[in-house]
Amino acid sequence: MTGLPLSRRAGLTAALATALLAGTSGLVLAQQASYKFGLAMPLTGGQALYGNDQVKAAQWAVDAINAKGGVNGKKLEMVVLDTQADPQVGIQAVNRLINVDKVPAFVTAWSGVVKAVAPIANDNKVVELSVGANAPDISKLGDYVYTTFPLADVDIRAVAQYSAKDMGKKKAAVLFVNNETGIGSAVVYRDTFTKAGGQVVAYESYDQKATDFTGPLLKIRASNPEIIHLQGLVAESPQVIAQARQLGITVPITSYSGVYNPKLIEQLGAAAEGVIATSLAPGVGDLPAVAEYVARWQKEVGRPPNGLPYTQYLHDTPYLVAAVFSSLDKKGVPATGENFRKEMLAIKSFDLPLTGKVEFSDDHTVNKPVYLVEVKGGKWTSKAVVNK
Amino acid sequence: MFNLTVISQILWTSLATSSSFVLFALSFALVLKVNKVFNFAQAGMMTAGFYAAYVTVRFLGLPGWAGLIAAVLGGMAAAFVLERVGFRTLRERKASPMFVFIFTLIASQFITYAMTLVFGTWPTTVFESMFWPVSIIANVAVSAWDLPAMGAALAVLAALWAFLRFSRYGQFMIAVADNSSLAELYGIRKDRVLMVTMLIAGAICGIGMFMYGTRAQVQPAAATELMLFAVAATILGGIGNIWGAAIAAVVLGVVQNASILFIPSAWQGFLLYAFLFFAIVLFPSGFHLPDSRKALKKMKAAPAANAGTAG
Repeated sequence: MTGLPLSRRAGLTAALATALLAGTSGLVLAQQASYKFGLAMPLTGGQALYGNDQVKAAQWAVDAINAKGGVNGKKLEMVVLDTQADPQVGIQAVNRLINVDKVPAFVTAWSGVVKAVAPIANDNKVVELSVGANAPDISKLGDYVYTTFPLADVDIRAVAQYSAKDMGKKKAAVLFVNNETGIGSAVVYRDTFTKAGGQVVAYESYDQKATDFTGPLLKIRASNPEIIHLQGLVAESPQVIAQARQLGITVPITSYSGVYNPKLIEQLGAAAEGVIATSLAPGVGDLPAVAEYVARWQKEVGRPPNGLPYTQYLHDTPYLVAAVFSSLDKKGVPATGENFRKEMLAIKSFDLPLTGKVEFSDDHTVNKPVYLVEVKGGKWTSKAVVNK
Repeated sequence: MFNLTVISQILWTSLATSSSFVLFALSFALVLKVNKVFNFAQAGMMTAGFYAAYVTVRFLGLPGWAGLIAAVLGGMAAAFVLERVGFRTLRERKASPMFVFIFTLIASQFITYAMTLVFGTWPTTVFESMFWPVSIIANVAVSAWDLPAMGAALAVLAALWAFLRFSRYGQFMIAVADNSSLAELYGIRKDRVLMVTMLIAGAICGIGMFMYGTRAQVQPAAATELMLFAVAATILGGIGNIWGAAIAAVVLGVVQNASILFIPSAWQGFLLYAFLFFAIVLFPSGFHLPDSRKALKKMKAAPAANAGTAG
C-alpha cells in the first residue's frame, strides 16, 4: 500500500471542502455578476433640489454604461440613499451602504457629510469618493477618502486672484455662512486676496439658520469694499444678494459654483446682473458633450439642471467607478474596498465625458481649470478661464 | 461704523423688517391673552398662509392682492381647524395647559411636514423675484417694500385696536380674557369668542407671512424659526399685553440689528436666544414699566403713615 486509505471522516472533510470551495466560487461569481456602488446624497431637506438633480445625472450615466454592456458585460448597480445633507443622516446611510449593501466604494457630497462619514470609510476600508464638497481639509480625511472635485483652495483661490489681479480690486469684503464650508472657504479667499496685494476690509459671517442679513451687510457697506465675496449656501445666497442690493450695495459680488444656477436669475432679476460665480467644469460652449447633456435636460425635464457643474461631476463619477471595476474584473480580482482603492490609484488618470481628465494626486486632491461665469443680460455668460 | 448714515440705516431697515415680526407677535400675544394658550401651532397657521399666497400667485398666476387674500384665508383656515378640531376638543376633555401646549408643538410640526410633502423643502417667495427697487433718501437705502410693509403693519394694529375697542365681539374677547367664567355667566358664548380670536390671529399671520414672503425666502420649517421672535417679544412685552408684544417686536428687531455695532455679526442669532433666556429668568411674568398711578398713591400714603407714627 503506497497510499493512505481514505477514511470516512477524511472523505466527509474533502466533500465539505469541495462544497465550500464551490460555494465560495459561486459567491464570487454571483458578486461579480454585477458590480455595486453607493450614492449617498440629499434627496430631501433644504439641499434636495440639488441632490435630486445630481442623482438623476448619475443615474443617466449608469443607464448609459449598462446600455453599452456595463462592466465587461456585467451590470453596474447604483444604490441611492438619502443624507438630507445632514451628517447624522449621512452616517446612517453610509453604515447601511457598507454593512447591508456591501459596496466597496460609495459617492457622497456636502462637506459636513463627507467629513462625518470618513471614519466609517477608513475603518471599513471602503472607498469614499467626495464629489462636489469643497472644504479644504477633505484631502486630509484618511487613506480611503478621495475627491474627484477640486477643493475650495482651487476655485476660491482662483476667484480671489482674479478679483485682485485681473479686476484690479484692492479692497474686498468677505461674507460667509458660519459652517464648515463657509469658514474654510472664507479663510482661503481672505489669505489669497491679501497675498495678491489686496486688503480684506470686512470679514463677516452669519448663522446657517438666519433669515435676515441686514446686520452683516450694513457692516460690509460701512467698510466701503470694491468687491464682495459671498460664501453662502445655495439656498440663502440669492436672498443675501437681494438684501445687499436693497441696502444700496452696488459693488460686484463674487461667489462660488453654488450660485451658478438659473434660479438665481429668476429670483433676483436685474439685481443678479454682475454676479460672478465659478464653475469647475466646462460649459456648454466649451464641450459639445455638455451642450448635448444640457439639451437632454431641457428635453426630458424641461429645464437646465440646478448646479450644472455639480451634476456634470456626478454624471461622470459612475464612469470612473465602472473603469475601476472593469480593470478589477479583467484581472479577476475581487471588488473589495482595498482592491478598489489600489486599482483606482494604479489607473490614476481618468478621461471623463463631461468634466474632462481627472488625475488623483498623492495628496488626495485634484486640480482642474476654473471657469468664471457672470450674469449679463439676464443669463450666465463665460467671463474667463483661470488656472488653465 | 458709528456714523449717522449707518445708525440711520440700521434704524430704518430694522423698523421696516420688523413689520412682519410685529404681526407674528401680535397674533401670538392675542391668542395667549384671550385663549390662554401658548400657541406654538401658530407656525402652522403662518406656513398655511404663506403657501396659500404662493399657490395663488405663482401657480394660478393671479395678482398680488389675490395672494394677500389667499394668505389671510389660508391662515384663517388653519386657525379654524386648530380651534375646532384641537383646542375645543381639548377644552371639552378638560386637558391640562401642559397637554394643550404639547398639542400646539405637535400640530405645528404636523402642518410643517404636510407642507413639506406637498411643496418640498426648497425655499421660495410669493413673487418670482424677491428684489424690490431701492431709492437712496438722505444716504439711507429705502426699498419699495419698506413703506407698504410698515403701513400694512400699522393698519393691522389700528384695525385690531378699533375692533377690540368698539366692536361687540372685541369687547367679548376682552371679557373672556379677563374672566372667562364670569363672561359665560353674562351670556357670552366662550367657544365662539375663542374661535373668533383664533380666526383673527390666523388672518394676522396670513398678512404677516405674505409681507415676509414677498421679501424673503420661506420653506415649510421657516415659520418655526420666525415664531421664536414672536415668543420673545410676547414675553418681553408683558404676557397678556398685546400692544406691549408689538412694541417689543420692534425693539427686539432694532436691538438685534444694532448689535452689529458692538458684537460680531455671527452672534446676532444667538442674541435672540439670550433675550429669551434672560426674559424668562428675570421677567417670568413679563416686563412692566412702573405704574405712575400706583407710585403716586404710594407717595401720598407714605406721609400719612409717617404722620400716624409720629403722633
